[in-house]
Amino acid sequence: MVTRRDTLKIAGAAMVLAAAKTTYAAENTGVTDDKIRIGILGDLTGFAAIWGSGNLSGGTMAFEEINAAGGINGRKLEYISVDSESSAPKGIAGFKRLVDQEKVFAIFGPTSSAVGVPMLRTMAGSGVPIFISAFSSPLATNPPSKNIFRSGTLNDADQGKILANYVTRISSKRSIAIMRQSDEYGKTGAINVVAQLKEIGNVKFIEEQFNASDTDFTSQLLRIRQSDADVLVVYGYPAPSAIVFRQVKQLSLPLQIVGSTATTSRSYAATVGKEAVGARSMFPTKYLPEGADVEIVKFRNAFEVRFPDLARQTRPEATDQMAYHGAKTLIEGLRRAGRDLTRETLIKALEGLKNFETGIANASTFGPDRREGNRSAYVVEVKEGLGRMILPGEYSAI
Amino acid sequence: MVETFIQLMLGGVIAGSVYALIAISLVLIHNGTGVVNFAFGDQLMAGVYVLVFSQHFLGLSLAPAVAIAVVVSGLFGLAIQFLVMAPLRNRPVLIPIVATIAIGAVLREGIRAFMGPNAWPVPFLLSTSPYHIGGVSIVPSDLAILGTSVIIMLCLYAFFEFTKYGQAILAACANPTGALIVGIPAGATTTSIWILSSMLAAIAGIVIAPLTTLTPDIGLIAIKGFAAAVLGGFASLPGAVVGGVLLGIIEAMAGYYISSAMKDIASYAVLVAVIVFRPTGLFNRASIRKV
Repeated sequence: MVTRRDTLKIAGAAMVLAAAKTTYAAENTGVTDDKIRIGILGDLTGFAAIWGSGNLSGGTMAFEEINAAGGINGRKLEYISVDSESSAPKGIAGFKRLVDQEKVFAIFGPTSSAVGVPMLRTMAGSGVPIFISAFSSPLATNPPSKNIFRSGTLNDADQGKILANYVTRISSKRSIAIMRQSDEYGKTGAINVVAQLKEIGNVKFIEEQFNASDTDFTSQLLRIRQSDADVLVVYGYPAPSAIVFRQVKQLSLPLQIVGSTATTSRSYAATVGKEAVGARSMFPTKYLPEGADVEIVKFRNAFEVRFPDLARQTRPEATDQMAYHGAKTLIEGLRRAGRDLTRETLIKALEGLKNFETGIANASTFGPDRREGNRSAYVVEVKEGLGRMILPGEYSAI
Repeated sequence: MVETFIQLMLGGVIAGSVYALIAISLVLIHNGTGVVNFAFGDQLMAGVYVLVFSQHFLGLSLAPAVAIAVVVSGLFGLAIQFLVMAPLRNRPVLIPIVATIAIGAVLREGIRAFMGPNAWPVPFLLSTSPYHIGGVSIVPSDLAILGTSVIIMLCLYAFFEFTKYGQAILAACANPTGALIVGIPAGATTTSIWILSSMLAAIAGIVIAPLTTLTPDIGLIAIKGFAAAVLGGFASLPGAVVGGVLLGIIEAMAGYYISSAMKDIASYAVLVAVIVFRPTGLFNRASIRKV
């Protein structure tokens, strides 16, 4: 006779079995005998498209190349792109679509802090491996989530620290001016610069702010002129930063400008004009996209063939380059995870990457408690004729 | 210090001229059609992209590229009138206003898809090398913005004050039925205003873009133009200019004498005060309707 207790036991066992089956299904969702489904999530429209389109082009190139080379452990990559439209709600909706409807195995993106930060809880709770190549909020990897990795770009906490160390070193008066955008991007960057300046000690600083749509910075720069600062850190988007760079020279302020990584697009110096000469910016790698390094030249040539419409827009840019590097790092993780691919084995494989080189960006290193692949930067300077060069020296945040 | 004050004034007036250029066009189209054109910032952006396309991909020099940008922008205004505004002319005023938001979004994302999200360099009309006079830096390229704003203002004033066509447009704006009775076609008047304001959008963009950097989001600057137009009364062309310049000066002064964090807060506080205490703006008389 089957007792009530037996019925409960059988039901309990069935539930455990069902849960185990679901977990297993979730663990290798998107993986078939011959395919791995990857979602590419990024801002292709809206203000943040500058990063999303790079994520798509760099990712697409790397995935197409590995498919042409026979795939990964007998499987080809199948990728689905979703536009998060520079909007956090659209980003969350896009993420859920990729996970719940498209049943992808892993996601490459998202691409901007404004979209990615509000998504962090959703992403961390999903268990889906996420690989970020573009956005720079430190919250993506600190505190680390098991399934969220970033490589290529430099996060704003590390960048703030490196910037502070660098400008203190080059300031003969140990007096620094900071101009930062009033939004989260500028605020996060400036907070970290100031924190590190305080940590260094015996450094004076003045902080001014601006809006991304401002066209005149006379008032901020005249306030800075009253200080004895000899170095100016500009932490803002390319368009307002370009006007700041120009107005510093037009007002004849004796300041060495050092911009954030947002001021390093290939056409940036041309948009500033001749006033850009001598200005410096942080750069997340020693390889400029227009450079002559072997792997960079190969990448640039392949990019121009694959995306002729983007090439006429003075691309590849650093965003394309970082995404290509990020995608190749993800591919390496998939390769090392082996034929018996699960989300767990991919995460373990990524954690095992140490100084993984692609030749177009800083090497990536992860670990059980480390989700930030790149933690160092270089300084790029605009030369006469508006060409650029990487200055000697690598600056680490560790 | 006096030179600091003059430098701030100059910076404020230049920034204010940018706002004024936009405000003039917004007021013009609002006066003529009753529509608040939320696509204006994007029309401004599109006009500059036509210039950049003509230079980079057609190999044209600056003058013909400018001419093409202005003409194409005017034709776009014509298309807006015939394809969007004319079919909506008997609908509630909110419908054409929403339509301008849609036109702006289509332009912005279309340009982003075709020309990319990155910034394009735009040639300055005058030199960016400053002259230093009595401790004050004066930049010719900045003066070009101020000069263009003044010239456009004077041209519009002369057009509406001294030409029959301008007077006809004003008459049709003030009283469409009365204008029709005396032989002024309201439809042609509206079309002219859309063309004229769209050409102004391209001119404003070509003057402003070298300063602000050309990206698909440059049209956001129109928000300040709206604020300037409201400050001036949204019906007065001189009011739009004064509103723009005033806004620029308030921003510059507040940014220096109070705090850079207070720049926008101070200027929008003045805007709110004007709306509360003088809802018709600084340059607009309250209309009295007898019932």
